Amino acid sequence: MAAERLSSIVSQLTPGQKPIDTITQKNPDDVVITLAIRTPLCKAYKGGLKDTPLDGLVFKILEQVVRKSNIDPQMVEDICLGNVSDSKAAYYVRAACLAAGFPNTTAASSVNRFCSSGLKAVQDIANQIITGSIECGVAVGAEHMSTGGDRLTRPFVDDIVHSGTQDAADCLMPMGQTSENVGKDFNITREQQDLYAAESFRRAEAAQKAGWFDDEITPITVKVDGKDVTLTRDEGIRPNTTFEGLNKIRPAFPEFGDRSTGGNSSQVTDGAAAVLLMKRSKALELGQPILAKFVGATVAGLAPRIMGIGPSLAVPKILTKFGLTLDDIDVIELNEAFASMAVYCRDTMKMDYSKMNPRGGAIALGHPLGCTGARQICTGLSECRRRKAKVLLTTMCIGTGMGMAGIFVNEQLD
Amino acid sequence: MIEFRTQGFNPYATKYSPFFDSRLAVSAGANFGLVGNGRLYILNLTANGIQVEKFFETQDCLFDTAWSEQHENQILTAGGDGSIKLFDIGVGEFPVAGWQEHSREVFSVHWGLVDKTRFASSSWDGTVKIWSPERKESLVTLPVHSCVYSAQFSPHHPEIVTCVGRDSHLRVFDLRTKASAQNHLTLAIPIHAPPKVPVPGYGQGSVGPTECLTHDWNKYRDSVLATAGVDSVIRTFDLRSPSGPVNFLTGHEYAVRKVSWSPHLSDVLLSASYDMTCRVWTDGSNVEKGGGGAGFGRELGRMDAHTEFAMGVDWCLFGAEGWCATCAWDERVLVWDVREFMRQT
Repeated sequence: MAAERLSSIVSQLTPGQKPIDTITQKNPDDVVITLAIRTPLCKAYKGGLKDTPLDGLVFKILEQVVRKSNIDPQMVEDICLGNVSDSKAAYYVRAACLAAGFPNTTAASSVNRFCSSGLKAVQDIANQIITGSIECGVAVGAEHMSTGGDRLTRPFVDDIVHSGTQDAADCLMPMGQTSENVGKDFNITREQQDLYAAESFRRAEAAQKAGWFDDEITPITVKVDGKDVTLTRDEGIRPNTTFEGLNKIRPAFPEFGDRSTGGNSSQVTDGAAAVLLMKRSKALELGQPILAKFVGATVAGLAPRIMGIGPSLAVPKILTKFGLTLDDIDVIELNEAFASMAVYCRDTMKMDYSKMNPRGGAIALGHPLGCTGARQICTGLSECRRRKAKVLLTTMCIGTGMGMAGIFVNEQLD
Repeated sequence: MIEFRTQGFNPYATKYSPFFDSRLAVSAGANFGLVGNGRLYILNLTANGIQVEKFFETQDCLFDTAWSEQHENQILTAGGDGSIKLFDIGVGEFPVAGWQEHSREVFSVHWGLVDKTRFASSSWDGTVKIWSPERKESLVTLPVHSCVYSAQFSPHHPEIVTCVGRDSHLRVFDLRTKASAQNHLTLAIPIHAPPKVPVPGYGQGSVGPTECLTHDWNKYRDSVLATAGVDSVIRTFDLRSPSGPVNFLTGHEYAVRKVSWSPHLSDVLLSASYDMTCRVWTDGSNVEKGGGGAGFGRELGRMDAHTEFAMGVDWCLFGAEGWCATCAWDERVLVWDVREFMRQT
């Protein structure tokens, strides 16, 4: 106690202020999140969202945004959809927003930075708010992997293929191969990966049982095989998953290696999430509840062949930008594209595993590509509220060799 | 200049009694208040200098003190162990009442000046609490979520409470509003916001937020407050246009620990700073003295007899205007006349 009094006097003498105070302080111009919701994450091809293609999914989540936020839809000036697989995503988001209750004065666009598209959509809207282009916007992340369509239909042109740049050629590398590369290059054993995956399932199962997901999931009613069904729960979580069970599963990419399996990789999933953003002054003016502050996000590039280690570059980069360390972070959402990269990133960055993915991750919940970036914000903020913690770090690796990371400050501490 | 030594204890606050013109209280702590006992001195200013009338010992440092407005012999203390104690000078060595609700150090106590039946306290636990001396529990708890260094009742309105703290915001609470999600919060002004009218030499943009350690209401102009803190700048605010500060009083070289507006002159205030000086300022608003109305503030004089961090100031209400008491970590309380230190400009 005396030590705390002393350090408080000392900090009153030192001119600069601590970085953690800089990011948690509240300014009227801050970009704040007033709503963060997601649909349940459903298994692709056979789950609850298999018959709801991308436009239907975006329509459903935007409907919920209007309903849950009580915002006058006219106030929303732009909607940005993060989506990877569907080249028509921009059409879908525009039509869906008009149908969901937004007036035609609300604009819409789509972005694609693969697995980080959801976070990129948030950053896109936030940047527009910061520069004054708009005052209020919605970022959506949505993916309908049941439709398929993720891969290229033709190889790159000769100029690229014969450029002699290995990195360019590696952009065609399947994700499974990059996972095996990470496992081999950094010596992450099959056993370590299965142990990690078992823990992810265990955490997700415990969180689901305890009802922790209830304040992030917004139930939606969709048609499944012609019948109306209300979806309320994430479907990917396999109860009673054990290390022994996972260890028996055959490798998923035997031509590339023998460590990544269907059990220790992210699942193929359908889902959507949405985040409503505006300036703090606008939120106070409209009487919107301020859930969190968007501090910033950044991207880092690396070799495509080991794209999984992306967070190990993006996270130090964003922490340095704000003068923070991992000790300042209370909750980390690191996308578990594969157990290989999750273990590598956690151990290389020496992350506190009790702070990282406390509700499990993509291995148990699923990784609807473009949705994940926004989904992590919903889950991370819900966990911050539950723990009464302040600072959230979200991060993911990105196919073709990138990593992205974002920092948020939870303000719902009561 | 009259001096008193608080031997073995480092003072944090000093307050003149509102009932007696020669009575002064000093709250202090051993070892600069970091660890050890606290002491509340009741001092008398006599023809032979300052005499100790009585002192009270407490378990932990006393960060602030406030005289009761209802009872001439009673006085509150704000303790480092989260306790608020009410002492009666005529009654023994133990407090006559005590309240233990704050979970961390209580940094300020302030008695309501209009509604004299209540007092306010603020604490490192991030709350401001309103109390009545007759009740065992607090009446209202106002959440602030970061260390609150100073809280006051408005001297003009019985239901307005303001506070400043670590997150660099000046908060105004109106206790008449219904308790709701806003918890009586009416305004939260970022102290570090850029000035409304550009101030020469100060720059346009918002400076980073820094801890705000003290604030005080102007005694004549009912919407004007001054705040000061770690960035060494004293800012005045007008609640009628609350988006940014009106005036900047720069000059202190280290954090300003306490500001106090004069009870006699509407434009004069006194500050105590870690740079060991106590300075007198005008905010330039007094037209008769040459100020232009919402004029520019400037320093009128300084007293640098203290040899450690100056921690507390208080003006004497009675007698010749201009007498004040200041206390500092050099274990001294000095009583002096501000007019002796005003520079000829």
